[in-house]
Amino acid sequence: MMPAHEFKLSHFQAMVIFALVISVAFGFLSRRSAYHRAKYIVWSFILFIVIGVGIGWAMYPFSH
Amino acid sequence: MPDEVPIAQTETTSAFPVPQVASPDTSPPSDRHRRDALALTIAAAAWFLPGLGHAFLKMWGRALVCFFTVALLVVLGAGMRGNIFSRNGEDAFARLGYVADLGAGIFYFVAQALETNGPDVSHANGDYGTRLLATAGVLNMLAALHAYEVTRARKA
Repeated sequence: MMPAHEFKLSHFQAMVIFALVISVAFGFLSRRSAYHRAKYIVWSFILFIVIGVGIGWAMYPFSH
Repeated sequence: MPDEVPIAQTETTSAFPVPQVASPDTSPPSDRHRRDALALTIAAAAWFLPGLGHAFLKMWGRALVCFFTVALLVVLGAGMRGNIFSRNGEDAFARLGYVADLGAGIFYFVAQALETNGPDVSHANGDYGTRLLATAGVLNMLAALHAYEVTRARKA
């Protein structure tokens, strides 16, 4: 049985958490107003996910 | 760009005498040396405890975000049994990994304390954990650099 402080995440879950955390950190560090921060966070999160999934599909033919 | 607010128009919120102009520095050399020393101290504080540098500058939102993002990445990375690189790396990648991990400051030692069962990179989960730990360190170094630049009035 897995100890309570150990996590088992799928590749997609790890990618989503990574994208969310990095987007929030970059948004707060690079923008000053709440509106611009929110816009930056949403955009960079979407781009992280779309590009990550896109690269995954782009590599799909090479694995078969 | 509408996002960029000129530094000269911003209000000062810092606890320290941070100049608010981005124009060429015309202050006396002694002031500049004092500000450089202050910037280095704040950068060191920001590295040691994520968010502390921004807290000194009274940037509370950024301080909290730096602290909690680095903490979350370290807890997840250690919980996924990622590899925490040690000082005695056998190759250049291990040494580079050590530098990245050490960037998390005090959380490097928190990660070591959390990972009681040691790393397990035989599965993908451990490999993702290694990346999250390195990301926490690099993110904290970026935040420390940001605090340094703010103190030197190069960024808003």
